[in-house]
Amino acid sequence: MEPDPVLVLRRATVAYEREPVVEGVDGEVSAGQSVALIGPNGAGKSTLIRAVLGLVPLTSGTIEVLGRPPQAARRQVAYVPQADTLDPEFPVSALQVVLMGRYPRVGWLRRPGGADRQAAQRALAEVGLAERASTRFGTLSGGQRQRVLLARAIAQEPRLLLLDEPFNGVDALSQDLLLAALGRLRAAGAAVVMATHDLGLAHLACDEVCLLNRHQIGFGPIGTTLTPELLRATYGGQALQLRGDGVIVARP
Amino acid sequence: MNLFDPFTLPYMQRALLEVLVLGALAGAVGVLVVLRRLAFVGDALTHTVFPGIVIAHLLGRSVVAGALAFGVLTAVLLTVLGSHRRVGDDAALAILLTSFFSVGVVLISRTRGFTADLTVFLFGRVLAVDRADLAQTLAVAVVATLVLALLHKELVLRAFDPEAAAAMGYRTRALDLVLNLLIALVVVAAVEAVGTVLVIALIVVPAAAARLLTDRVAAMTAVACLLGAAGGWLGLAVSFEVSVDHDLRLAAGATIVVVLVGLFLVAAAVAPLRRRMAAR
Repeated sequence: MEPDPVLVLRRATVAYEREPVVEGVDGEVSAGQSVALIGPNGAGKSTLIRAVLGLVPLTSGTIEVLGRPPQAARRQVAYVPQADTLDPEFPVSALQVVLMGRYPRVGWLRRPGGADRQAAQRALAEVGLAERASTRFGTLSGGQRQRVLLARAIAQEPRLLLLDEPFNGVDALSQDLLLAALGRLRAAGAAVVMATHDLGLAHLACDEVCLLNRHQIGFGPIGTTLTPELLRATYGGQALQLRGDGVIVARP
Repeated sequence: MNLFDPFTLPYMQRALLEVLVLGALAGAVGVLVVLRRLAFVGDALTHTVFPGIVIAHLLGRSVVAGALAFGVLTAVLLTVLGSHRRVGDDAALAILLTSFFSVGVVLISRTRGFTADLTVFLFGRVLAVDRADLAQTLAVAVVATLVLALLHKELVLRAFDPEAAAAMGYRTRALDLVLNLLIALVVVAAVEAVGTVLVIALIVVPAAAARLLTDRVAAMTAVACLLGAAGGWLGLAVSFEVSVDHDLRLAAGATIVVVLVGLFLVAAAVAPLRRRMAAR
């Protein structure tokens, strides 16, 4: 029997002040699957992620996470923001950032306990930063900070992981470690959705792709969906055709 | 100068206890204000509480009750304003701050001999703090400490990464309201001692100094509490000594603020040395 999908989108549409930001997104993501959200800036990738997190309401259609509305499933969902959106001067260590992923289970008033610290340490080791636990978050490199944020998501033990441009400004070593950690999460049964404009990394990290430019242009296996026609439809004038089937995307 | 002798007098003992509690409380809340870069919002709160004090005074009611009512009202207003990106900017805050403050001044200017009252509400009179004032400050401090203990890690998470906090299911707007209410509580507690104008220094200066000296929120909180309390103690002692020995009247509340800023400058001077040590 096919297991129930982790994430189901049905004609999902989000609008701000009546202006649709992202329209008519359909698709399913199963446990262990990974989907890349591909599209130019302003295509609605971040908005779609916020909708799956239940942070922006749908104007029509539905989103279900583990068979529930997004707001009811947040304990099973982890979100990885772009590291450079966070204040590098904030006085927290790498380990303390990862521990934040345990807060929802710790509850009010109480402090994270020994089991939480162990989980956080394991998560830091997963991304190759076990030795940097007590380093201040802001003094780490961009790639290391991104790995710390992935470790925080791992510490949440999510069944659905959402990432916003996880490879932006990330060095090669961090990129490899991020890809490896994501692979292990998927092997353990987590579903992954990531917004990215790096088609090469989408190929490496994902098996499905959702092409977006304000509305859904395609959703399916990466090999059959990342076609020159659909990419041109996604990027419009920004796509350039090179000999035959090759397409490169300028200024994604 | 003697740091202990002045405090054999009962009124100086009450003043000391008042500033120790206030300094520590404002330091702890100030850490969150500094981390969230909310100093201007905090400043707005200190001014918007003012008409509440004036109204309570004119009605012959408890000044603290009036401050509390307006503190809660403006904490809610500021939270609502802050969640609208278009309105929640400096101009809206400045309008709120000045309009509330002006209403307070207009109301009090209708009374006879209003400058004396005005001075007390703006700058406090820590040496006139009585047992009832002290009890009120302690009660407010206990409530604020309980709230901080209950929600501290959530407030820190919200300060660091609001998107992730919301994604984890925390109500960030409710947490914002809690912090605004905490600031309001500190302002209310400080009204009698240092007045509404100087209290922002009590909130921001020790926390900013602590930020220069530490790299962890917990350590920053401890240092801010200590600096706040120490500044209160030193400020009182200095103003007493100068007033008694040199017959120069120094306003106690303002002296405390000057001492706090002095401590901040020391921290700023020491911070580069500390960084160099840490880098080794």
